[in-house]
Amino acid sequence: MFGFNVEKVRKDFPVLSQRLVYFDNACMSLKPKQVVEKMNEYYEKYPACGGRSGHRLSREVDYQVELARREVQKLIGAGSQEEIIFVRNATEGINLVAHGLDWEKGDEVIVTDKEHNSNLIPWLKLKEEGVVVRVCKGNEDGTFNLKNLRDCLSKKTKLVAVVHVSNLDGVENPIADIVKTAHANGVWVLVDGAQSVPHKEVDVRKLDVDFFAFSGHKALGPTGTGVLYGKKDLLNKMCQFIVGGQTVLDSTYEGYDEELLPKKFEAGLQDYAGIIGLGEACRYLKRIGLKEIEKQEEKLNKLATSLLSGNEKIELIGPREAEKRSGVFTFNVKGMRSHDVAKMLDASKGIAVRSGAFCVHSWFNAHKIDGAVRASFYLYNTEDEVRVFVKEVEKICELV
Amino acid sequence: MVLCWIALPVFAVLAIFSARYRRLTVESLECLFRTATLQKCQSGLDDRMKSQITGKLLRFSPASARFFYKHYKIISFVLLIVFIWSTYISAVAIYNYIEYGNCNGPDSDGFCILDPMGENSATCEIPNSVGGNGKIVYPKPDPNTPVIGNRDAELTIIEFGCYVCPYTNDAEETVKAVLDYYKGRVNLQFIVYPLPAHEFSYESSMASKCAEEQGKYEEYHEKLFEQNLVFTSQTFMNVALELELDVGQFESCMENQTYASDIEKDKALAVAAGVKGTPTFFVNEQEIIGPKPFKTFKTVIDGELGKLG
Repeated sequence: MFGFNVEKVRKDFPVLSQRLVYFDNACMSLKPKQVVEKMNEYYEKYPACGGRSGHRLSREVDYQVELARREVQKLIGAGSQEEIIFVRNATEGINLVAHGLDWEKGDEVIVTDKEHNSNLIPWLKLKEEGVVVRVCKGNEDGTFNLKNLRDCLSKKTKLVAVVHVSNLDGVENPIADIVKTAHANGVWVLVDGAQSVPHKEVDVRKLDVDFFAFSGHKALGPTGTGVLYGKKDLLNKMCQFIVGGQTVLDSTYEGYDEELLPKKFEAGLQDYAGIIGLGEACRYLKRIGLKEIEKQEEKLNKLATSLLSGNEKIELIGPREAEKRSGVFTFNVKGMRSHDVAKMLDASKGIAVRSGAFCVHSWFNAHKIDGAVRASFYLYNTEDEVRVFVKEVEKICELV
Repeated sequence: MVLCWIALPVFAVLAIFSARYRRLTVESLECLFRTATLQKCQSGLDDRMKSQITGKLLRFSPASARFFYKHYKIISFVLLIVFIWSTYISAVAIYNYIEYGNCNGPDSDGFCILDPMGENSATCEIPNSVGGNGKIVYPKPDPNTPVIGNRDAELTIIEFGCYVCPYTNDAEETVKAVLDYYKGRVNLQFIVYPLPAHEFSYESSMASKCAEEQGKYEEYHEKLFEQNLVFTSQTFMNVALELELDVGQFESCMENQTYASDIEKDKALAVAAGVKGTPTFFVNEQEIIGPKPFKTFKTVIDGELGKLG
């Protein structure tokens, strides 16, 4: 309503007062003080068990956890709170689906060629049960190829597991089209939304995805928090993954009755402070506005791209057009190891970037590239920071 | 790999003061161990340091960053050689300090970082000391000069000193410890060299000789050091009274300067030996200048006793 004010936003992130240009947001976002304060509120005011005891503190925990669930539901547009399962991170959410679905020998899972290990390894592990994993290759520039997906689909395909926004190059996959194609073939779709939820508006019902997982720590939330969204009927059909306290209604020495959604999948005592903090992070993102955040990131990426793309020593990974890469600028300096570049940026101007294979080893191995440097922008980053980054990268280019 | 070798001692010292460097010390140690056992260093510490240093240089001077990055290996080797050389020099300096009380060896009074004030080599300077005719005449034990300790000892330390010289005073404790350590085998002849600029220097020298006349040399010598450099015109008489000397005889000796010629002979001995300040010690032809630590005396004395068989 009052427009996006990056300087005002930065005041919510005390860590930015130090000599730091933080461009490692695709790995971990910084936390606003509102989130930290909300987590402290749990420890200071109602540090009790949730879902078990009936006393005042416990009831407050239940209330706050359900508030957080509602915030998540609102953020991703889920139909009901029962469809929001709290997990430790997107990885755990994806594993929950991999272990919860009923697989038969010969069933097929389709993944893209740019999946994070979190959305590749759980499926590769299913090979032990006879599940076949097919890799759907993208276009040369890293964008999604729908025709290749159609070619990969078969009568045995049970699930398409696809990343929403790639952590490798920031390319957004056309989820709505993918879902439409998959559903037309009676195939479920799981989306790894770790890089989309924090940066753009997501509506799981509009996208019609069957499963959607994301991590809290990339979305201004605490570490060790994440969410698995699933359509209610599918979640009800799914087997439990981790069982124990809170996952049962009743038990005898012979057996037990499963809890209802969402607690069916939330085994043991939960990270209440984290969940409550995640709720606050969702509230914060909605207050700032995800459209504004997306615009800010694209603006920064366009600036970085325009200033560096002409440099012949820079090898860009992904499409040349900045608008196709969200807030991610992945590159290599010719003749230099990515880790060296990252360390130099850190040592020279305190610029924090990611280097290496960003858990997308499969893509790097297939392309015979050792790794890359990734600068990923977020709502608190500024154009001045991008200019500092560009200047330092140019200096590093001069070293070789 | 090369930088790991240099990094280990540097980080080890820094780790004493900052926990941040402890992890790096462990990494350097691990790297050193692996390279020493012909394995590949896995920590990547070398590469990290290269990037880290280049990054830091980029802040101030891109040209020097470029130079460092391009010539990293050569620079590393040069640093390694400098490091090994400076380690060797430091080891020699430490050895010299322990053995001779001076980093630069037995015959030097140059600057020593371990003794920055030069206290181990400091002396009360003898003005215009030229060392006789340029040829050093090493002093020999004189049977007519009183000794402190066993008269029949195998070895004699000859000390040129002055009772009012602060450095002679500093050395006294070590001298006592040395005589105690070599009890019976080593004795001391203290040859006075009154320093013209020091008040009561001549009087104290004369007083010790006047006490010797009455057979109380050693006691009087000790009492003069016990004054701890605080002397008045009454001190010498008071000490004489304390030691129950014949006060009349002592007073007459002092007033008549009975041993003035002996003192001049002592001074001539010092000049002939090339003594430039007090205290200066001779153990046969080995010279020890200044209030050196016990270990220095021990090294020299053991050497000379060893020659005796």
